[in-house]
Parts: sequence; structure tokens; C-alpha cells
Amino acid sequence: MAGRRGRIGRVRTLVFIPAWNEGASIAGVIGDVRGSIPGADILVIDDGSADATAARAREAGALVASLPFNQGLGAALQTGYLYALREGYDCCAHLDADGQHPAAEVARLLEEVVADRADLVIGSRYRDPSAAPKPPADGPKTDDIGLFSAHRPPVEGSGDYRPTLSRRIGTSVFRFFLTLATRQRFTDTTSGMRAANRRVMALFSEHYSPDFAEIESLQLAVRQGLRVEEVPVRMLERTGGTSFLTPLRSAFFIFKGMIVLLVGQFRPRREEADERHDPTPRGGGRLGKSVEAER
Amino acid sequence: MRALTLGAAQSPTVHLTPQARILAAAIAIAFMAMILELIRRDRLQERYSVVWFVAGLGMLAGAAFPGLLKFVADAMGVRDTNVALFSIVLLLLLGLALNFSVIMSRQAAQITRLAQERALEQAREQARLAEKDLETEKEGL
Repeated sequence: MAGRRGRIGRVRTLVFIPAWNEGASIAGVIGDVRGSIPGADILVIDDGSADATAARAREAGALVASLPFNQGLGAALQTGYLYALREGYDCCAHLDADGQHPAAEVARLLEEVVADRADLVIGSRYRDPSAAPKPPADGPKTDDIGLFSAHRPPVEGSGDYRPTLSRRIGTSVFRFFLTLATRQRFTDTTSGMRAANRRVMALFSEHYSPDFAEIESLQLAVRQGLRVEEVPVRMLERTGGTSFLTPLRSAFFIFKGMIVLLVGQFRPRREEADERHDPTPRGGGRLGKSVEAER
Repeated sequence: MRALTLGAAQSPTVHLTPQARILAAAIAIAFMAMILELIRRDRLQERYSVVWFVAGLGMLAGAAFPGLLKFVADAMGVRDTNVALFSIVLLLLLGLALNFSVIMSRQAAQITRLAQERALEQAREQARLAEKDLETEKEGL
């Protein structure tokens, strides 16, 4: 299956898009990805949509993996990581299907992974782009900004992301506890725009909480000794649909997240057994370097 | 075990009327019959029935040998037999409910993986077809 498709240079790249009832916006997102990351294969994970999401995606020329019933964002994302791992992609990225994530920004995340500066790269709407245009290789080191003061207004300009109050509270809480848990500063803990290499694929395709994908996965990756890095990105307002976060749901969401983080702290750290079980024939983390050497 | 229950039965202060004992025994027997019937109709798997049988037998034993209850209550250091009975039943049910949550979680994970495998197979098939189209196109040129 290692064909001519899905290559940027020598690096096989998969961009996957979890989508649940996003028939209105999915074709636009696929077009955006194709325009900004022309060499990548595009996989839409249709999470049991009731509308024509899968058909729209196929028409737009993307591969479609349809879950037979709605399984939640975590399971959908894991499906993407599984596909990337098993089909032998060197790196992968994912973005939301609602049009909030410009594909050009995803391309920047992928660059970080391809250059082997990090194993997992998170696109952050809150990190000030002017303060850290290119974070150092060993992770963000901008701790002079306090834990809570990190919420700065996004850069001025039309179409920038403006979160609601309940989201802002949730974001601060998670930011605080995740920073406490990982001892690494994260600003955008729930960002759905990420890029990853094969080490991350191997980890996330086995361990990925279906309920609380975004936060637990960060904690897990850091605990497993992977290099996780945030890159400031620009995000747009939603083009369609409404956020699922009502105040009550936010409270429940936050409560659940705290439990997840607490339990995550007691999980075993990096196991050597995991390395042995890594089914990749080409050897996870070294791949990025060999890619560079080949150039 | 038998000697134990007999010994306990000799203790005098157990307040269970014969009607209550007969009723409890009847319910226990009906309960176990229901479980057997559910298994027979494939509505309940054997591996999940064991725990209910044990519960039914426990109920029957309590009805047949009231001294048993008293013995357990004494062992727990509870003066009132009824309190002991309720605590035990409550704890058992709590344990059972937790057990089911564990089973449910495992099955939810299995269902998710099954759904993912199915979705992956679909995407692989689509990729294969696209690859094939590309090759026939090339041959055509």
C-alpha cells in the first residue's frame, strides 16, 4: 500500500479529520488541507454521523473511515492514529472538521515533527505568537509568565478565536492542573490541532481515553517521556454549529477532567515493554532522524 | 460448615417467624428457578449466573437456618441481626453493581475497538481501490 500517494518529499504524511455531523463544512476543510499540505493523504473519520458527512468527504476526494455508531472524539482520533500506524505513515496530524483550524497552521505543526524537534506538537490558540515564534527544541521554556496569567487576548485582527466565559474557566483550570501534573507549561490543553510521529501513534493507538482524549493524552505523552511541544497558531470562529459546552456541561467536563488527571498520575511511567510491543518495523523515534539524513 | 450452622442454630435469640422463613425460602427457590429459566432461554450467560445462584443459595440458607444469621451478626459484632442482614445485602449489591460497571467498561472498550477495526477496513479498501485506479490509469497512458 506504500504507493505514490501521501508523500511530502520522502515523508509519508496522513492528515485525519474526526467529523461528527459536519457535512456542511467537511468539504471546505478537505479542500483547505489539500491546498496547504498537498502531499498528504487525507482521512476523514466519520464518527457515526447522521448526515451526509461521509458522502461529502468522499466526493471531496478524502479517504473515509466510518464508525458504525457515534463513539466520541477520543475513539475517532484513536482510529486515525491506528490507521496512520498500521499503514506505515511517518507522521500524522489532525484538525477539527468545523473549519476552525486553518490547514496552513497544521502544516507548520507537521514541519516541527518532520524536523524531529518534537514527538507531539499541539497547536495553541492562547500562546502568544509574537512571544515565541519558534519554541526551543527541548520544549517551551517561558515560565516567567505565571500559570494563570497565560491567557492573553489573541492577536488583533478579524477572524481570530474568542472563547466564551465557561470555556475560559475550563481552560484555566485544566491548564493549571496539567501544568502541575506534567511540570511542563501548556496553554491550550483542549486543542484539537496536533501533529505526531510514529512513537506517538504507537502510544495513542493503544492507550487513548475515549472520554477525555485531549488532556489525558498530553499527560500520558509527557509521562511516557515523549517530547511534547506547543506551537502558537491562529484559529477561526466556528463556521457552523454551536459549541457543546453549556455552563453545566462545562462543570461536569472539568470535574471529569480532574479525575482523569488524578488517575493518570498513578499510571505506570514509561514501560520498556511498550517499546517491545511497538509493532512498527521501522523503529519509532529514530525515524525522524533517518528522514533528515536521507535528504 | 454443617456443624457450624447447627451450633449457631442452638443459640436462642433469633426472631424469625415460621411464616417469614417459609416466605424467604419460597422467594429464594423462585429466584433460582428464574435464573435457570433465563439460562435455558439464552437470556443469561452461565458465567454471569453464578453470582446470582450464590445469592439465591445464601437466601435459602438464611431461611433454613436462622441461627446462621445470628452467628454472622455476632461475628460482625452487631447486636441486631436485621442490621447485620441489611448491611451484608447492601455490601453484596454494591459489589455486584461495581462488578457490572467493570464488565460494562470492558465491553464498551471492545465495542469501540470493533467499530474502529471496521472503519479502518473500510478506509483501507477505499485506499486500495484508489491505488488500483491510479495504476490502470498509468497503464492506459
